[in-house]
Amino acid sequence: MNPGRTQQRIRWVTLAVLIGSAVLLTILDSTGTLDSVFGFLRDPMSFVSDWTSSQTDVVADVMTGPRNLEAALEEISRLETENETLRKENEELLEAAGENQILRELFNRAADTPEYRRITADVIGQDTNPALQSIIINKGYDHGVRVGMPVEAARGLVGQVYRVTNNASQVALLTETASAIPVRLGSTRATGILRGAGRGALPTIDWIDLQYDVQVGELVTTSGLGGKFPENLVIGRVIEVERNEAELFQRAVVQPAVDFNNVEIVFVVTEFNTVNTEIFNEAP
Amino acid sequence: MGNHIYIAIPIMALLAIVESSILSRFPIGGTVPQLMFLVALVWGMERGLEEGLVWAFIAGLFADLYSLAPMGISSLAFMAGVAGPLLLRQVLPPRRLLVAMLLAALGTIIYLTVYALGLRVFGFGISFGGLAELWPLIVLHTVLIVPLYLMTSALLRASQPRRVEF
Repeated sequence: MNPGRTQQRIRWVTLAVLIGSAVLLTILDSTGTLDSVFGFLRDPMSFVSDWTSSQTDVVADVMTGPRNLEAALEEISRLETENETLRKENEELLEAAGENQILRELFNRAADTPEYRRITADVIGQDTNPALQSIIINKGYDHGVRVGMPVEAARGLVGQVYRVTNNASQVALLTETASAIPVRLGSTRATGILRGAGRGALPTIDWIDLQYDVQVGELVTTSGLGGKFPENLVIGRVIEVERNEAELFQRAVVQPAVDFNNVEIVFVVTEFNTVNTEIFNEAP
Repeated sequence: MGNHIYIAIPIMALLAIVESSILSRFPIGGTVPQLMFLVALVWGMERGLEEGLVWAFIAGLFADLYSLAPMGISSLAFMAGVAGPLLLRQVLPPRRLLVAMLLAALGTIIYLTVYALGLRVFGFGISFGGLAELWPLIVLHTVLIVPLYLMTSALLRASQPRRVEF
């Protein structure tokens, strides 16, 4: 037998087997068949990632900290001044919060804030594929996290739990193309669907009725419609409005409030009050 | 299939953790290098197409463990990104480093294109405009391939048995 032809044949067989395996895996995984199988792999790797991530935090802090004594003294002086300013601001804010609390109670006693239950989680990794945007957190099924739960940071909504293993979860960011969130605009009260536009593009709100005069700078929050997200979670602000009178709806481009590159701690919202849509089921 | 698979698995597992937990904190030009792909490509350049494909397949599986993408899509993209340049190498002049840099750039373009197509099939609407934003990744890979290639070559030379004459 010709050794050159044999080698060619081995090459093609290898290629066919590998491509076939990859396609089969892709199909099986997209149907959810392999979740438990790969959960066994993801769990120990998430554990190692958790440890690695905490060590990286330390290194990152050292790298971004002051590099010499003179810089450190300057930093201390600057921080002392900043501390004084912040203390003053804090007192003013406490006073305002107190006033706000009283006004709230007087003005609208009936208003009840939904009591969300949250789990705090550390971000231990990011998506390894440059075209996709997701984060990995160190809380999973054993901690009560389930697929579809909303995830927020201190400044606003981050996204939704996409995949869960026993001790870790993957969160699809709201900027991801697969994401669709019912939202409401702050002042016009117009509603629409916020869709992620993928890497390099800002999310947009589709299906906003033309009757609303949407303004740049309006706050965007979750509307709670659909029951997958609680109401009033901050998402960001409108930075551009695309309005064409010839179309039925207008669109708005949104700048998210959260800087997704620097998120370190998030909250998984495990329980929240859903918007009551029973009214639509009643006979007229 | 040789013993190289047993080396590929721990190396790719380690690189996946490094890439997801460490390198993502220190992006270069707004992007993080895809080390697993580069290592598979370098291995293929050193040890031939078949081994390169196997390494790319394993690399893709570990990449998808940390990704939203369905398992296997990265394997397909990595294999395309390794096979394309290695098949082309036969017609290129034998200038090792320059060719390596060219193959890294070409391989990254092929890998990203196949990856975007695969993702679109499975409902992730990656736009080609969004892909164009990833051009720093091509530059980064073109630069990073040089130390990786030199290091891998040196390691392989050191690990191969030498002929001793008496």
